[in-house]
Amino acid sequence: MLAVVSLGASASVQVEADSAEARINPKEIIFEHLLDGYGWEVPFDHHHRMPLPVICYASDGFHCFSSSHLDHGAVYKDGDCTFTIGGPESKYKDKLVEIVDGKEVRPWDISITKNVCALFICILLVGGIMLWLAAYLRKHPFKAPRKGLGAVEVVVTFVYDGVVKPILGPQARRFAPYLMTVFFFILVMNLLGLVVIFPGGANLTGNIAVTLVLSICTFVATNFFANKHYWKEIFWPDVPWWLKVPLPIMPVIEIFGMFTKPAALTVRLFANMMGGHMIVITLTLLIFIFSAISPVAGGATTVVSLIFSIFMLLIDVLVSFIQAYVFTMLSTIFIGLAQEQEHEKEEAADKHNIGKEIVDTLV
Amino acid sequence: MELFTPDFGLVFWMFIAFGILFLVLWKFAWPVILRSVDSRADLIDKGVEYAQDAKAQLDNARSEAESYLNEARRQQADILREADKMKTQIIEQARSAAQVEAQKVMDNAKLQIAQQQKEAQQQFRNQVSEFALDIAGKIVHNQMQQDAAQKKLVDSLLDQIDPAK
Repeated sequence: MLAVVSLGASASVQVEADSAEARINPKEIIFEHLLDGYGWEVPFDHHHRMPLPVICYASDGFHCFSSSHLDHGAVYKDGDCTFTIGGPESKYKDKLVEIVDGKEVRPWDISITKNVCALFICILLVGGIMLWLAAYLRKHPFKAPRKGLGAVEVVVTFVYDGVVKPILGPQARRFAPYLMTVFFFILVMNLLGLVVIFPGGANLTGNIAVTLVLSICTFVATNFFANKHYWKEIFWPDVPWWLKVPLPIMPVIEIFGMFTKPAALTVRLFANMMGGHMIVITLTLLIFIFSAISPVAGGATTVVSLIFSIFMLLIDVLVSFIQAYVFTMLSTIFIGLAQEQEHEKEEAADKHNIGKEIVDTLV
Repeated sequence: MELFTPDFGLVFWMFIAFGILFLVLWKFAWPVILRSVDSRADLIDKGVEYAQDAKAQLDNARSEAESYLNEARRQQADILREADKMKTQIIEQARSAAQVEAQKVMDNAKLQIAQQQKEAQQQFRNQVSEFALDIAGKIVHNQMQQDAAQKKLVDSLLDQIDPAK
């Protein structure tokens, strides 16, 4: 405890020393951690970044160069094009821009940024673990794996037997590959995000692009494989006729509902994970904000912040799992609703309600 | 606001990476894993069912064995009772046969004894008469030693013989 207090106090001294150059700007630090970057921070070193490749389609074709050329707002000339990172006043703040005739133009940017790199790491991890498990099970078809692989298999059966099978029934095998991939992908991304240093630390599931793509996939799986009954329910639902003609009120609402479901998926996962990251960073920043006021306050805040940060990180581990579970469950329910036959309607509605209740209690 | 606008680059890479991951796992991992999990669950279900069946059969067999054992015990008792009955019967028979035989032997013995008694009596009588003759002879001899007596005797004998007298 004393060591922590003294750590806080020394941090405040550090801050005082640094404050000559720049006061800390909490908002900037928080957003720097939440958003993407063209390099990856080296652990315990604020001035250096691991360079990552920048790939873009600029005014005269594709360009590919190391992000180290753009460090600290440097201007880099690749071929005939000039690139830089948008400054604080720019419309494209912290983004790659091409300078054409003195104006900043955003090229088609498909750089391997920090988030993309984290995404690849996550893909390799999930793919590796699952192929490993598959290889094991192919070798020993009736033997339950032990230790690490056993734990993976427990989670597999937890999701497959607990969510996919009960909701989809005979269709479970058809959609399980997608749903299980989504679950493990989100779970591993969430957990990697909680690791502070490389290869973790990227706020990937707290990025709306990632969750958007995932929910688009669910949207496609729902509507592309939907049966006749589902479309009938949308365009000609079981409601009094005056709700359908002459003004198609219900069909409009149903069509709207088609899009709100994946939108809810997108925002739920994104907001939950981003919130978790933001709280932990804020708690950590509190130490430096209070240390700037006085060493004593800094020391005291260190203790409190540390305890709260650890508590929040533990909660985030739980949330990581719950959010992956919820995303998978809701995707399963949406797909299941598009698969059900007429006579199964009430049953599925019950499942749907149960699912919603669970979600409401969890989130 | 940047937080809420999806970045094109990340969306692009996400589609590609997630697509590849999905295709690879869909082709190589999930069928194997899910089939294995399902078939193992089936195997376990079947195993439990089999075990329950086996237990039921064992219980059945046990009660069956019990009934057989009871039957055997009953038969054993019956046989024992039968044997006991037979034993007493045999003993009874033997006893009566022995009695008859004994009677016969006794009768025979009695007859023999009677005969032997008779023989002994006869012998005794003969012996007594012999002794009597001997004694008589001796007495006569003694008496004949005197002349007078001898004379007298001869006289008496002659008297007897003399039919004229």
